[in-house]
Amino acid sequence: MNLHALLLAAIRLSTPLLFAAMGGALTYQAGMLNIALDGFMIVAAFFGVATAAATGSLALAVIAAVVSAILLAALLATFNLRLNADIFIAGIAVTFLSYGLTGLLLKNLLGQEGVFAPPAIPRFTPIRLPLVEEIPLLGSLLSGQTILVYAAFLSVPVVAWSLYRTRWGLRVRMVGAAPDAAEAAGIRVGRIKAQTMLLSGLFCGLGGVYLSLGYLSLFAREMTGERGLIALAAIFFARGRPFRTAAAVLMFGCMSALAVELPQVTTIAPELLQLVPYLAAVAALGVIGARNVRGRDRHAAWRFEIE
Amino acid sequence: MKGVLRPGEILALVGENGAGKSTLMNILYGLLPRDSGEISIDGRLVQFSGASEAIRAGVGMVPQHLKLGRSFSVAENIVLGAEPVDALGRLDRQAARRETSAISHRFGFGLDPDVSVGSLPVGSQQKVEILKALYREARILILDEPTAVLTPIETRALFATIRRLAESGRSVIFITHKLREVLAVSDRIAVMRQGRVVAQIDNAGVDAGALAALMIERDLAPARNRGAPRPAGRSLLAVEGLCCLGERGETAIDGLSLQARAGEIVGVAGVQGNGQDELAQCIAGLRHPVRGMVAIDGQQVAGGPRERRRAGLAYIPADRQGLGLSLGSPLWENMLAGHPGRFGKAGFLDLPAARRWAASLIQQHDIRGADPDKPAGSLSGGNAQKVQLARELSRDVCVVVAEQPSQGVDVGAVEAIHRTLVALRDEGRAVLVISSDLDEIFAICDRILVMYRGRIAADRRREETDIDEIGRFIGGVFASHPETQDGVEATHVG
Amino acid sequence: MSGDLATSPVGSWARPIAARVLPRLAEPLAAVMIAFVLGGLLVLLLGYNPLLVYATLLRGSLIGWPNVLATLQMMSPLLFTGLAVSLSLRAGLINVGAEGQMLIGGLCAGVVGYAVRLPAPLAAPTCLVAAMLGGALWAALPAWLRVSYSVSELVVCLMMNPIAKLLTSYLATRPLKAPGPTNKLPDISAAAGLTNFSIFAQVNTGLLIGLLLCGAFAVVNLRTRPGLEWKLMGLNARFAHYSGIQVRRRAVAIMLISGAVAGLAGAEQVLGEYHAFYDSFSPGYGFDGIAVAMLAKLNPIGVIFAAFLFGALNSGGDVLQMLTGVDKDLVRVLQFIIVLVLSARPSWRWYKAWREASRP
Repeated sequence: MNLHALLLAAIRLSTPLLFAAMGGALTYQAGMLNIALDGFMIVAAFFGVATAAATGSLALAVIAAVVSAILLAALLATFNLRLNADIFIAGIAVTFLSYGLTGLLLKNLLGQEGVFAPPAIPRFTPIRLPLVEEIPLLGSLLSGQTILVYAAFLSVPVVAWSLYRTRWGLRVRMVGAAPDAAEAAGIRVGRIKAQTMLLSGLFCGLGGVYLSLGYLSLFAREMTGERGLIALAAIFFARGRPFRTAAAVLMFGCMSALAVELPQVTTIAPELLQLVPYLAAVAALGVIGARNVRGRDRHAAWRFEIE
Repeated sequence: MKGVLRPGEILALVGENGAGKSTLMNILYGLLPRDSGEISIDGRLVQFSGASEAIRAGVGMVPQHLKLGRSFSVAENIVLGAEPVDALGRLDRQAARRETSAISHRFGFGLDPDVSVGSLPVGSQQKVEILKALYREARILILDEPTAVLTPIETRALFATIRRLAESGRSVIFITHKLREVLAVSDRIAVMRQGRVVAQIDNAGVDAGALAALMIERDLAPARNRGAPRPAGRSLLAVEGLCCLGERGETAIDGLSLQARAGEIVGVAGVQGNGQDELAQCIAGLRHPVRGMVAIDGQQVAGGPRERRRAGLAYIPADRQGLGLSLGSPLWENMLAGHPGRFGKAGFLDLPAARRWAASLIQQHDIRGADPDKPAGSLSGGNAQKVQLARELSRDVCVVVAEQPSQGVDVGAVEAIHRTLVALRDEGRAVLVISSDLDEIFAICDRILVMYRGRIAADRRREETDIDEIGRFIGGVFASHPETQDGVEATHVG
Repeated sequence: MSGDLATSPVGSWARPIAARVLPRLAEPLAAVMIAFVLGGLLVLLLGYNPLLVYATLLRGSLIGWPNVLATLQMMSPLLFTGLAVSLSLRAGLINVGAEGQMLIGGLCAGVVGYAVRLPAPLAAPTCLVAAMLGGALWAALPAWLRVSYSVSELVVCLMMNPIAKLLTSYLATRPLKAPGPTNKLPDISAAAGLTNFSIFAQVNTGLLIGLLLCGAFAVVNLRTRPGLEWKLMGLNARFAHYSGIQVRRRAVAIMLISGAVAGLAGAEQVLGEYHAFYDSFSPGYGFDGIAVAMLAKLNPIGVIFAAFLFGALNSGGDVLQMLTGVDKDLVRVLQFIIVLVLSARPSWRWYKAWREASRP
């Protein structure tokens, strides 16, 4: 088993997860559970690759992808914040709507059955970092990645910085943790929530365009797999804190890479490895829940509502 | 209503529940819209449509239920909304810390800016709220029942703070129902009753008793509802040594004991917020006390509402919309809810019978404008209350706990409700009425208790007391210190 | 109840039903209309004639016996998943784990179907029971976490769906695999299968079971004590608790029941349609169940109609794709526009007033 190949695969698999997780972490910190991450990513993947094939321009493709994801995020934000729709039901609706829409457009706009793999499509060029290259073991991993990969990894400190070092970030966190305090301080809670939702669209847009253009240039139906859910699992596991979420994502990415590589070496089935993120999330939820309950025990008014 | 506030003045706003104090202040802070009238600050007319506008105009509010981010630091809570930023637009944490410390020292608070708010005692948390307002340069500070969650020592510190604030030229409006505090710290006193200011007087040589009278001045309702008092029978409801915590972890009930006997109506008077909610919840099984016990008809009860109901308790909550009724359900469903296994057998419901029974109850209790299929949410306050009574009292009960029974109920319905309660007493049940409406207490109760800061401060027979005395107890003005069941000062819950 | 209006024997029972049912239909109908309009626009933008598209959908689903059978076939699993989701939602619990519960239930049915040899009258019912147990088991964890620790059952269910998918995929392609290059378990014994109605399509007795189940739960919801208690829990859990309802116990019960019903969806597919557990046999029936439940406004009888509508759309979609080339994903788009529209609860005054007026 080639460690190098394994790590490369891990990076490749983690990139879209990182994007989705950062977007989801922002909404999580604002108190909203965004389960439409998959939906955002799939429309971005579709419009990205379609635009690239139509115009031959990567830049336009990225813009198209991001815009489409943001529009979808705006739809969800409108239904949840303006029309008071339950965010879960609306999120599920938006997700499956996106699956259906992209499937429909794949067939009837692009004329393809099942997979769209245009031959002459621009690709992201690997970026060589001359000094970094020299680093003995990691050099070949750190240098030579495409721009989206660097963007994904850089987005983690950016999101962390904006949450913990800017005034906007403080407001976002306060809106999530104590909305009445935010309201009393004169902060527009709805606006902040909408902003995080749109940003999650932005990030998922980048994640989606990576899926269809960043490594292979193709679009397949429902190609996001369950990446959005894995990103969500990472967010739960790490309570929405950016760096910890990223760590969880990378761990899950490595697992996925192992799932691809290992069967060639051992007999552990890839499916069992892929289980790990979800099991971890359920376990984390249980532990967090148990801890909360103990704190409330002393004076609990009987509760059946979710905190 | 009309009022004037001068700079550097401490105005105490007193009144009972429902006098409109909090509403008035919420309007002033922009959280509620007003229907008519003017507010002017510094001579300019203002109209606030949100807290941020009020803050900009120099109004700051310290709410009764603190609105803080518990997992955030003191500095973060204080600067929220007006955070200092540096050249790059970054949150300038150093500046936040500095400014927080400075302002904290200026008013003698000495709070550590980096400590998380959730780890502070309630008194310090309140200081954070005050600093929040001061940081936004509030010149008018509204404090809504600030001493509700404070210990006596913290209360004294708060008063010192308020005086300091006033000396610095700020104006303070201090809402309270505790008359001693009013006398201790205010320059002027405004008394509100039923939405109007009925008196504005200077705090010079005012007597607590007179204040109490102003606050509650009314003609006593003739006690025609009551009928002849009879010797009370055995204890049907006993609460002993009850200690429990409230929603925010503060001590809500502090070693409380009371009894209600067969054939008597016991009233628990007092301004809301002194632990009455928690008391009702503990009796009804909706809240777990930290210590103490509740016994119904001699048997100690544990468990939740189901067990209490079986033991013979009927609880009629004040929160009709959230707790007492299912607004979206038709009346027959609401009525059936509290009666397990009554209509039908083997799990099946005999719906026509249930409907007929509901219809008969509607008749019996004179619930106007209702048929069994109408949703409960469409009823008026008085009729909704009657529905609750109808449901609870059509069971075999020995103890009835009625919480604020006439709140939101029109006068005609109030009469009917009172008559029902008195009839229950005459049938030999025990009735506990928790009410902040003294009219009601004096109209129907045989014995009157006053609840103050989580304890029973007074226990008098109706004939042995008058409204002035009760008013004083409600205002926290005792001869020496609050009486408890065993006459000894109870300790705080650790 | 409003018998004073009766003028004819039919009117005496039709009128009250109409008075109660019609206002409640307004919202779902409006959502369906909006979806069709938007879908029509979409189709138009893609260069097709919307009227032709909808006519084809109609023809492909309802005209001609083979099409009707296909519709009923597509409807069957939706009856179960729709019912499962609607039962839980009605009690205030959001069970989005129907997909996973269905897979586990189907697996159990598939395993018992081939591993346990039983005589004909016992075989199928045993498999069905196995499916119910499997589905209930899968719903037990979210249920327990919810009542004990207030953990959102929705999130746990969401996570348990992929766990179920991966687990059953693994089992079906490795340890329990049928011999030969395949991705399924061995075929179930002939005795364990659910019989078909016709040689034209795989419409099996599962459909009947589904219809009966919906009818049974309609009765349970309206006429039994637990049904009333679940309804009250869903409307106001605090009130339910105060009234003496054992909310925690009822919550666990409804989640288990919901899981069991979803498990039956899997059984219907495995025992009735494929006669073996195939890996990835579900194109998302569990999530479609959410759409069905929403459109049915959580009413079991409504589930029958909603499942029929979506079944028709799905089978019509197949025909649509064959005849016009419009991808059948259009149907999915329509379905979830409906869900999205129905999820809105705007606080507009006119909307609130209209809802008040249309309340029975």
